[in-house]
Amino acid sequence: MATKVSLKSKGKGGKGSKGSDEKSTVQCLKEWSTWAVKKAKVVTHYGFIPLVIIIGMNSDPKPQLYQLLSPV
Amino acid sequence: MAGLVPPGPTTVPAGESKKAEEKTDFMNLPCPIPFEELHREALMSLKPEAFEGLRFDFTKGLNQKFSLSHSVYMGPTEIPSQSAETIKIPTAHYEFGANFIDPNLMLIGRVLTDGRLNARVKWDLTDNLTVKANAQLSNEPHMSHGIVNFDYKGKDYRSQFQMGNAALFGASYIQSVTRHLSLGGEVFWAGQHRKSGIGYAARYETDKMVATGQVASTGVVALSYVQKVSEKVSLASDFMYNYITRDVTSSVGYDYILRQCRLRGKIDSNGCAAAYLEERLNMGLNFILSAEIDHRKKDYKFGFGLTVG
Repeated sequence: MATKVSLKSKGKGGKGSKGSDEKSTVQCLKEWSTWAVKKAKVVTHYGFIPLVIIIGMNSDPKPQLYQLLSPV
Repeated sequence: MAGLVPPGPTTVPAGESKKAEEKTDFMNLPCPIPFEELHREALMSLKPEAFEGLRFDFTKGLNQKFSLSHSVYMGPTEIPSQSAETIKIPTAHYEFGANFIDPNLMLIGRVLTDGRLNARVKWDLTDNLTVKANAQLSNEPHMSHGIVNFDYKGKDYRSQFQMGNAALFGASYIQSVTRHLSLGGEVFWAGQHRKSGIGYAARYETDKMVATGQVASTGVVALSYVQKVSEKVSLASDFMYNYITRDVTSSVGYDYILRQCRLRGKIDSNGCAAAYLEERLNMGLNFILSAEIDHRKKDYKFGFGLTVG
């Protein structure tokens, strides 16, 4: 119990243990959503163009790999 | 008596059906254009994408739906400055892009040499529901933006709900009221900047002309009028007034769409004259000239470019 309270208060600087349950779920949601948005931003930043290329290379009629790099 | 032919049932329906064509069928109105494209004709004629310097775009199609684009730009870029002078820094960049265009799904991605990504997604979930997303991501912190739109198209109305980062929410609705007139409204709420606003818009369109008007609580009043003089020529004029900052701008322009070229020119009440020429040299080869002369700020921009594919 003491470890649980201390883990929750670590992020918020020691609020009262009575209201900490409701506040901590909201705070946890906010932190997780911020973390998820940050990871999604990095994934999109590095992965969007490769995703478009993969989807394009698998569409019909299937283009060849050399066409991706040659200027003709 | 035999010569007199009383108006029989054969003649009256022909006259009536002609009148019925002209009389609007209010149950069968056309679908209006999307709210953000309200000023589309005026924007196309009066605000071409003027640039300064050299621009070279090469688009290589790998198949009907998938293409890659390489784009080089060299020229001065304006940076915002507090003083009245415009400060320009010479920049050069290469942009790589990949496009996948399907009837239901459109993915466009562009990445620059400094790491900025510009991504656009348009996905038609059903015939009526479309999801659009637009993101500009950069490596610098707090410089990335993203917006997601959900569009629903009804029989004679369109509605859109928008969510963006920095807690931006917006909704808009446009409805065809008669065959030519459509009215719409929008609301938006920006959480981080603590701003919200509401706006109304109207668009009257016939074969020969388009007139639009928009009023918003952010202080913007925008009116535009485009007259299609012939198939090749259209003339446009535009009036923008901000009733909070008391700024007025008015511009007049033309748009010639000819067989080999497209020429657009405009002149502004801020003392700015601009022209944009796209000349088709050959199949798939376009030559672009852009000029923007701002007499008040003494800013002269001339650009040329080539577009292949």
